[in-house]
Amino acid sequence: MIEPNAAVAVDGGNLPFGGGLLALVRPGLDLLAPGGVLAVLTRHRSAPDDLATWCRMEHHELVETEQQPDGGTRVLIRKGSLGLPRGEREDGLDLRPHDGRVEAADMLKAVPFPETANPDTGFAPRGARVEPGGPVYPFRVNDATHSAPPDIAALYDQAINAQWNADTDIAWDKIKSLAKPLQRALGQVFTFLAENELSALYVPSKFIARIHPAYVEVGQFLATQLMDEARHIDVFLKRARSGGGGVGLSHATTSASLHSLLTLEDFTEAAFLLSVLGEGTFLDLLRYIEDHAPDEVTADIVRRARADETRHVHFGMSHVKHALKNDPTMYQRLEAAVRKRSATLAGVGKVPALVQDALTILAAGGTNPEAVAKGHGKFQELLEVMHENRVKRLYTAGFTFDQAQTLSELHTPNFM
Amino acid sequence: MADNSILLGAVAYDAKVVPIWEGIRDHFKKQGVEMDFCLFSNYEQQVEQLLKGHIDIAWNTPLAHVRVQKRTEGKSLSLGMRDSDRDFKGRVVVRKDAGIEKLKDLEGKALAVGSRDSTQARILPLHFLQAEGVDLSKVKLMPFDTDVGKHGDTGTSELDVLEALHEGRAQAGTVGDLIWVGQQAAGKVDTNLIDTLYVTPGFDHCMFDALPSLNANKVEAFKKGLFAMKWENPEHRKILELEGLKEWMPPREEGYDSLKAALTEQNYW
Repeated sequence: MIEPNAAVAVDGGNLPFGGGLLALVRPGLDLLAPGGVLAVLTRHRSAPDDLATWCRMEHHELVETEQQPDGGTRVLIRKGSLGLPRGEREDGLDLRPHDGRVEAADMLKAVPFPETANPDTGFAPRGARVEPGGPVYPFRVNDATHSAPPDIAALYDQAINAQWNADTDIAWDKIKSLAKPLQRALGQVFTFLAENELSALYVPSKFIARIHPAYVEVGQFLATQLMDEARHIDVFLKRARSGGGGVGLSHATTSASLHSLLTLEDFTEAAFLLSVLGEGTFLDLLRYIEDHAPDEVTADIVRRARADETRHVHFGMSHVKHALKNDPTMYQRLEAAVRKRSATLAGVGKVPALVQDALTILAAGGTNPEAVAKGHGKFQELLEVMHENRVKRLYTAGFTFDQAQTLSELHTPNFM
Repeated sequence: MADNSILLGAVAYDAKVVPIWEGIRDHFKKQGVEMDFCLFSNYEQQVEQLLKGHIDIAWNTPLAHVRVQKRTEGKSLSLGMRDSDRDFKGRVVVRKDAGIEKLKDLEGKALAVGSRDSTQARILPLHFLQAEGVDLSKVKLMPFDTDVGKHGDTGTSELDVLEALHEGRAQAGTVGDLIWVGQQAAGKVDTNLIDTLYVTPGFDHCMFDALPSLNANKVEAFKKGLFAMKWENPEHRKILELEGLKEWMPPREEGYDSLKAALTEQNYW
């Protein structure tokens, strides 16, 4: 008979089986492949018998028990193959700081995304070995193509470093009362912004629980997006209610448009419609409000919001480009999604009336007819700019110029 | 009920018996095997109903298994067992402060034992102690006859034995090795206080029994369903964990010889 070679040895000293020995034996066996042999040295009288019973329960083979000259016992256990974990053991990783930081992007580089992920690994962190037998989780986004662009971790790193505080970072004490018409226009604009940002809070949140945890950086980025939107809703409503005003009207057009976003069920379609087309268009709107803000506090608020929204648009663009590059059928699906939404919104009309008026008054700086005429012109220019920039983004994402023109024209009159 | 449907008997020793057999029934259905179960409160009743042909298959303890074999003059069919039913052992565990170094030292001491119908915690440990030369008439037996009729399935009497040892009411006790190792692994044994004195030779535990007259198609269908259960399958694993096994095994008979000898010796057939 060939003496089996022990690949791992543990010295259990005088530990009883139920008094610590198992804490050495189980991790020792975990290091071995099935068929590998663990040598357990023990000086405890009944540990060999207990190990024998335990091996029987756990489907390991007790190869032999040998008395040692010093009075101890050497027990050889051959590892069985029941319930073996899937995946390779992670070992020797050493995340090092650069410039004092260990970033999510460093982690992603060390442990890259798998192309596909299995829903039966549950909440196991990417890279962990997984014991079989766990339940299948209801994750629906289980591949990198439709969830995880390569720069997602870097975007997350940017986002966590760009957070600001709506309570303390805004010079609330600098706000002064405005003339009533302008105050009402401002209240209407910020009501509209807050309403749209509410949808931008709800829509991504619905997808986080559907994305496989192997792509956790996507969930982490979306969490920052949710925090951004929460802050924007907060700061917009505070501005609407400062200086003697209040919130304005919620239009049925806005409601219908946002409802059609909330009912989307595909993550990539949602990222396209919300982040590329919706938030992309909002960048121009926020710039417009900043340019025509009646005071520096208002300009600061929308400038900060636009910086956050720029990240969301960047994420949407990265996501869509990545998906289009790896899955060319996405062109048709995304175009169909725009057309379907446009059909749903057919008949809801133009830009929500009081929003259009408020943006006109804002650009006019008041109700002087000559100024209003200029404001009207500025608003028309805004619509042009929004269209041009949408076309540019669609073209950059990979659509043809003609497709981009058509899709931009089909975009919701609600901007988002 | 259609003739090809199998009716299986099991003893309701715990509330978990219901989800176990409902799970196995559902699994059998997916395998195309119609099976239902009925629950008995004790193994004596289950054995009687099997012998009368009221159920097709009985999930039996070793005691019930050898009784069925005796009543059918060795003609009953054995269909399968758990991996954990093979090479079962009993233990004599002692308090370290009781001064018990060898089996003979048990004489004059209080030995806590499990239910009178528990193979692993009473019948076989006493049988093997006697074979090792211990004079049982000199040992102060402290019996825990709980859940009689369940043949030790509940494990309650074994936990009672361990408690009596921990509390010092007994100096020694007999338990099955699965309870002993399982309680240790769960950190529920004070290993500074209690240790193993003696391990019995191996014996086998539960078995699916059927009458020799059972339709061959049912026999094959049952085996097909049973052996299709896999630890790696999450649905199966839930059931297997509850039932205390990792793999169903084919039957074997040699593991019951010691029990048959013990029942004759103890006049407990």
